[in-house]
Parts: sequence; C-alpha cells; structure tokens
Amino acid sequence: MLGYRFLSKLKHVLRPRPTPSVGFARSQEAQAVANKLEVFIDDQKVVVDPGTTVLQACAMAGVEIPRFCYHDRLSVAGNCRMCLVEVEKSPKPVASCAMPVMNGMRVKTDSPVSRKAREGVMEFLLVNHPLDCPICDQGGECDLQDQSMAFGGDKSRFVDNEYTGKRAVEDKDIGPLVKTIMTRCIQCTRCVRFASEVAGVEDLGTTGRGNDMQIGTYVEKLFASELSGNVIDLCPVGALTGKPYAFTSRPWELRRVESIDVMDACGSNITIGMRSGEVMRIVPRVNEEINEEWICDKARFAIDGLSVQRLTSPMVKSPEGYLENCDWEDALFCAAEKITRAGAGNVAAVAGSLVDAESLVALRDFLHRLGSETLTVNSEHPSDHLVNDLRASYIFNSGIVSVEDADHVLFIGGNPRLDAPVLNARVRKCWIHNELEVSLIGQDVDLTYHHNHLGETLSTLEQLLDGSHAFAKTMYAAKRPLIIVNGKILCGENGSRVQDLALKLANKLSQQHAEDGWNVYNVLQTEASRVAALDLGYKSSSKSALTKQTKVLYLLGADDEVINRADLADDCFIIYQGHHGDRGAAIADLVLPGACYTEKNATYVNTEGRAQQTRQAATPPGLAREDWKIIRALSEICGVTLPYSSLSTARQRLCEVSPSFSRYGDQEEALFFQQVVSLSEDSSESGATNEKLTNDMKDLSHFYMTNSISRASRTMAKCVQAFKDKD
Amino acid sequence: MSSSQITTRISQQVVKPLISTSNAEAKRRVLKLYRAWYRQAPFVVLEYDIPIGEKEVRAKVREQFEKNKHVTDMRVIDMLVLKGQMELKETANIWKQKNHVMNYFKETEVKKTDDFLTNFYEGHHV
Amino acid sequence: MAKIATEGILAKLKKVKDIVKFNGGVWNSIVTLYRTDELKQGELVGEDKYGNKYYRNDEHIMGRNKWVVYSDKVGMNYDGSQVPAEWHRWLSDMTDTPPTVKPPLQHRWMIDHIENKTGTQQRYVPYSTTRAKIQSWQPPAPSK
Repeated sequence: MLGYRFLSKLKHVLRPRPTPSVGFARSQEAQAVANKLEVFIDDQKVVVDPGTTVLQACAMAGVEIPRFCYHDRLSVAGNCRMCLVEVEKSPKPVASCAMPVMNGMRVKTDSPVSRKAREGVMEFLLVNHPLDCPICDQGGECDLQDQSMAFGGDKSRFVDNEYTGKRAVEDKDIGPLVKTIMTRCIQCTRCVRFASEVAGVEDLGTTGRGNDMQIGTYVEKLFASELSGNVIDLCPVGALTGKPYAFTSRPWELRRVESIDVMDACGSNITIGMRSGEVMRIVPRVNEEINEEWICDKARFAIDGLSVQRLTSPMVKSPEGYLENCDWEDALFCAAEKITRAGAGNVAAVAGSLVDAESLVALRDFLHRLGSETLTVNSEHPSDHLVNDLRASYIFNSGIVSVEDADHVLFIGGNPRLDAPVLNARVRKCWIHNELEVSLIGQDVDLTYHHNHLGETLSTLEQLLDGSHAFAKTMYAAKRPLIIVNGKILCGENGSRVQDLALKLANKLSQQHAEDGWNVYNVLQTEASRVAALDLGYKSSSKSALTKQTKVLYLLGADDEVINRADLADDCFIIYQGHHGDRGAAIADLVLPGACYTEKNATYVNTEGRAQQTRQAATPPGLAREDWKIIRALSEICGVTLPYSSLSTARQRLCEVSPSFSRYGDQEEALFFQQVVSLSEDSSESGATNEKLTNDMKDLSHFYMTNSISRASRTMAKCVQAFKDKD
Repeated sequence: MSSSQITTRISQQVVKPLISTSNAEAKRRVLKLYRAWYRQAPFVVLEYDIPIGEKEVRAKVREQFEKNKHVTDMRVIDMLVLKGQMELKETANIWKQKNHVMNYFKETEVKKTDDFLTNFYEGHHV
Repeated sequence: MAKIATEGILAKLKKVKDIVKFNGGVWNSIVTLYRTDELKQGELVGEDKYGNKYYRNDEHIMGRNKWVVYSDKVGMNYDGSQVPAEWHRWLSDMTDTPPTVKPPLQHRWMIDHIENKTGTQQRYVPYSTTRAKIQSWQPPAPSK
C-alpha cells in the first residue's frame, strides 16, 4: 500500500501551470517580467517564468520531450523516466518534467547521454510490454508505439522469452465503460492521478513496487465516476480502453468530425469518430473555456443509443390505434389537415431538450404564421412568472471559465456534479488550487470535494438574504462570488420564488464587495436546447400548452414526463417530431422522424449563451429528415410557407432574431442584470418557505439516462445496473 | 486619321471566309452534312446496339440541326458544319461508345429542381 | 423364315407389341409417351414413397439403362428433385444395389426428403443474419 500513500502525497503537490489563469496573470504580470529566467535548450535561448519545468521550457523552444507520466492537467509524478535529458554540470540525466529551470541552465535534449537514457528506459518498458499491438485497441494512437519508433533503440536485449518470460497481470473489472488489459500497463499513474485529482474518486491506486507494481482498485469494485471515460484518453498505452468500443474500429479508419455534445447544457466540444455512416466513438476536443479536455461518460458512451429505437419512417395512427408507417406526403398532409382544422390559437408546441436552434426558430415562425403564440419549453413550472425576457436571467452570465477567478461558489439546487460534470471538474480544480470555497443549498449530495451544506429549503436563501444565516458573513465577504442556480429548480414548482430570492441575493452580493463588472448571478441549465429556446421567446411553462383548448399539440423532441395525455382534451391531436421512439412518440398520433445531433449541421447555445454548431457525421436513417426541413415542408403544405429553404437562409433568420446565434464559439454577454432584478421585484410573490428544493440527481444511477438518446443506450443501462449492484 | 474614318474602314473590311464564300455554298454544306447523318442513322442503330430506332435517331439529328437554325453568320455555319463532320466521323468509325451516343437521348436523367418540397420528399440535400 | 422372326421387321413389330403391352395397352402407352417422351420396357426395380417407379433394362447403353417413371399423382409436374436421395444414388450409378435390396441407413437426425419448392409458397428465401445498423422503434400496442 506504499503506492497509495505516495500518491496521496503527490496530490498536494501543486502542478506548475504553463499558462496561469486570467486573474492570476493580471496581478503578477508586473513582477513576472522582471524576474524571468534564461535557459538554453540545445543552445537556443528561451526566456521563461520561474517555476517552469525543463519540459515546458523545451516545449517553448519547440523541442518535444518524450513522456508517459507527465500530463498538462495532472500533477507531476516523475515516475516514468522517459523525459530524461542531459543538463550541463549535472552528474546524471534529469527528469525534465519534475525539474524546475534555473537561470543559465543548458539543456541538451538530443545528446548521446539523453538518447541513451531514453533508449534504456524504453527498453525496460518494452521488456514487460506485450507485443499485441495488432489486436490492441490503442494501436495507431499509442504513445508507446509512437515514442518507441521515435526515441527507442533499434534492437532489444530481451531474449529470455522461454524462462522468465514477460510479466503478466490479471485484468481488473472496473465497470461497463473502461476495459482493462493490465499486462499492457506501464505504471505511468496518469489514471490514478486523474481519478484522485480531477474526478475526485479515490478508487484507483497502485499496489506493490518494482516489477510487481500494479494499478487497480485493490478490491474489485466499480470505478464510479461520471468522468471515468477520460482515463481511456489519458492512458498512453492500451491498458485502459473503451469497453463498448473494444475491437470495433481502428483510429485510421475513422473520419473525424468536430462537433458539440448535447447531453448536458455545457456544450462540451467533441470529435465524432465516424466510419461508413456509423458513429463509432466520441472523444473530447480541447476547449479551454468549456470542457478543457474532459467529457462526461454520457457524452462519450451514450452513442450506441443513436442506432436503436430510431424513428425511421413517418407514422400515423390507424383507426384501430396502431402507429403505422406511411410516406412523407401522407404524414404531412395529415398534419396539415389537423392543423388547419384546429384554427388559429389552438395549436401549441413544446420543445424538448435536444432540439437545435434552427428547428426552434422554424417552429416558432410556423406557429406565429398560423396565428398561435403558445410555444413553450418542457417545464413543470405552473405559471409563466419567471423573469425570462432578459437574457441575464437564464444564462450562465459570467461564463464557465470564471470559476477560475471566483473565491466563493454557491450552488442553489440540483447536483452540479451530475448536471454538468465538466463544470464540476473545474470547480474541483479551483477548490484544490485556488482555495475556492463552495457551498450548496438544496439536498446534500457528494460533489467530490468539501462544500458547506447550508440548508435544504427556501428559508435558507431568505436567511442568507437578510443576514441571519450563520454563513451569511463569510458569503458577503467574498470578492468574486458566484451564485449558480440549477435550471431544473427554476422549472420546478417554486421556481419563481427561487429565482426571485437568488436574484436578490446576487444583487446584494454584487453591491457589497464584489468587484466591478463581476457577474454574480448564473443559471446552470441542464438541457442543451434550453438557452436557444428561451432566446427565441419560448415560454418557460408548458402548462399553457397543455390545456383542454389545445386541438393540436406539436412536440418537437419533447420526451419528458411533463407531457401527459391526461392533461389534454380527448380529441387533441399530438404530432411528435424527433429522432427516438420514446415517451413523446408513444403518446403521439402522428410521428415525424427527425435527425439527432450527429446527423445534422445545427446550432446549439450552451448554458453560457455561447452558440456552437454540431457537424453532420452520419446521414439521418431511413426516411428521417433534418428537423427544420420537416417544419419548413409542413409549413408549405399548410399554406404558410416559411421564407427560408436552405440552411444558410434559416441561419440568416436566426441572426435576425438574435445576432448572437451566428457568433459561433463566442460567449455572448448578457446585459441588463439590474433590470432583471427590478423586474423580479415587481412580480415577486410570497409563499411557504419551508419547502425543500427537489433534486432528481441523487447519485450516479440517475445520471446515465436523462434523455431520449441515453435512455435508448444499452451501455447506459448497463452503467445504471452496475452502479446499483455495486454495494 | 480621325476616329470616324477608322470606323468606316473597319466597317468596309471584308472578313476572311472560313471555307464557304457565299451563303448558298454554306447552305449546301449544311444539307450535305445533314444527308450524311440521315444515311448514317440505320448504321448507328445497328452498330451501337442502342434501344432506339432509326426514326428517333433521325429526329434527334434534325433536332440538333434545328438547334442552330438561327445562325446566319457564314463562318459560324462553316465551323458548326466542321464540328458536325467530326462528330459524324467519330460516330461512323465507332470511336465512340454506346453511352456517348445515348448522351443525346437523356431520357433517364432526373432533372434537378429548386422546389423545396420535391427535394424534401426525395431526400435530396439542398 | 425363322431368322426373319428374330431379326427382321416382324421381330421389331413384336418388340413394339411387347413394349405396348408392358406399358398397359395402347392408350396407356400414348399417355406414357406423352409424359416421358419415350416408351421403354424394363425390369421394375422398385417404387419409392412418392409412388415413382424405377426401371432397369441393360439392353440400353449405360446412362439410359436405368430410368424413373414419376408417379401419376404429379401428372406433368414432375421434377428431378422428386427422386429421394437413396434412389438418386442408384439412378445416377453411384451404386448398383437398389435401396430395395439394401435399405438406406436411417439416423435420428436425418430429415425426410422433400422436393425443391422453388416457385411455390414454401420456397426457401435467404435472409441476412447480421443485425441492422439502425434499429427502428416498434410502436407499442394501443392501450385500451
């Protein structure tokens, strides 16, 4: 167990930061210029900050040092020894990842000594590494393969295959997502450090030492983390690979499509690996402002849900009550007949969680042309009292990256660890490095780091507001506090009360100590479509759509439990448009098959109000069509043709509504926070304060299946089962 | 020399003929080519083994000639006749293949349309 | 004159008469000729489960010395696949011992012979055993 102790010590070693965070840089800039250090990498002069490691200095000089254990976003372990370089006046080669630079240091990265050191380390690694590259899933993207080609020796002295043989290690079962082939492990401990530092679960560790060192969970158990898939990317060899992806494809067969994840509202950047029209895997793409280089397991592994339970043909309900396949012409004419017969004002629409902005604007324009105003998002909120007219009231105003500068984060409701895992990973990072204080109102959950649980009810918020809460003093002392309200709480029963109180608290905090221009109030939405829908004027209460007046209800991907047939009139005609046969399609009278996020070029706005676009990797299956086109076609048949017939003109229409939709990648700042506060004061209502803030994400088993794609996924179902069986 | 003088000079210049020296001669060449094509029709059908009869081939030949019936410039007519002769030679000597001949009869070609609904039903991406 | 009786025209007429008699009279001979395009005389070797009759006459050259007359039940719809496997062996000279003499081995796992059903409702239709890449949603039955 020495390894565990060793690594827990390592955790406290602050990793040197190649690029310090924004706020940090601002304060230290003046000093830094004065005491820069001069180092010579292969006789090339580089000026670096003190505290930089030799490896980073080499990177600045454009020299790449081979490494296995070193990773930018993890603490330095220095145990693989691959990064040895020769430093003048040093008796031995030094591990460049752990060695801070000194003034006037002369580093030789390609000297005979460095080369011999590398070749020696590589030879030792290969002595115990199996030669199963042809059947290894890492083959083609393996650091060990690449580096042994570039830096390894040309021959091996390992000949004793008969007698001593190669080391063999038993494989571990750490859950349905990560496959382990532990014989391939080179003990870089990246996965161990990731688990304890980023994911915050102390499940992985090392046992034994020397040749007997092993990575594992000691006793066999589930690696229960919402970020567990990232160890697959981190692993430099094929020891940890994707279990659902095992033996399915090779990296050089995949066409890479840069896209956006829609499983949560963070809009993590992803790369879709596509082969012959099939999505094979999803890996993260670096975006420092959103997901750094992590994505959650749902984003990575729910893709097998994309090929099952799909709607591949329009369906219309027969007189006997069966949904039967039909062609597009029949389906559209059937819909048009019902819509025109219903008359103006009796058509309502509800938008679901995975809908893109193009189809949202098309649906909005379509209904407006029909003379109906009833457009809502999926929410349980009883009335339309939420202050949602101004953007500042529903987006993550300060941006996800602002967590790096914050000194206090107050979560109101929900479970940020499961609602937005990449945000939570960043909060955890800042909790470790920046002494960030985190507190939570609502049901107490495991956030993987220490936080103050202030209370479960609305009264806690009120007490914080009037200063009577024991914690109020600490909170008001914060210079850069963040209030992060969970979007689901706002949609809940007492959402408008929460919004009202949170806005007041935010206002008070920003007036007291907070720096100028610091946004305190943030909403963490949980649905990828939500911000775009609210930007486009969708109302926040779907109760208005679900009245007995409604003759035709248009569900645009609305699969949540909020919609209930019983709330509607008996003769209400339900049209469901979406990509999966889920709750929505089950209650529909007419089903129009749409495309899911890997099958269309579409715009999504994340919780920060940052518009990003997904790119088409596969084609919609069967007769399925892109969503905005379906609405456009239907509008033509209803006689209210929408004035756009190509993606570019549809996006022009989006820009007319709000130019922020076209500024891909940029976070569009929301203004008028003061107006939001005063609006909320006008409409504020009073009510019981002892009501608890509900939370449907209590533990990991609630995380895996939250939308129509992940509900269809077998892998996600296995995860839920594995988590339930864990104890 | 003033500019008006230049204009006059240019307008009075006689262009160099390509082959024919008179309109009547050009017409004769056209008719000769047409006759040659007309006579070639049964051989085209036979040699290229196309699912089209002599009548249709002749109609197509006539259609191709009539496409240019608005042309009056002698030199343009000569050039078109030359091209027609090249085409005839290529056809008669079987330097072409079946599909080159069938290219004149684009019966199976699906016309592209800008109509949104048609493309939507067909599943064409706009 | 006796020579004429064995080799001449009279002998041939006698042969015709014998063959007609063997095939059960003039009318039956015409029917058999119509069905099989030939009229032969031979030793009846056996009959299979369908009622097909197997004959042998070594006066004919090899390849024509064994033949089958299909059961009357099938009429003109006879087909090579109506010959069961054991008779097929004998008919195509894999063996000279007919199944009447040496019955075929019957194992438990052997299925009964059936004729080729191509062109009928019971025809064999090949199907793919690979799973479709995209699986469509099957709507649930309506709830009452």
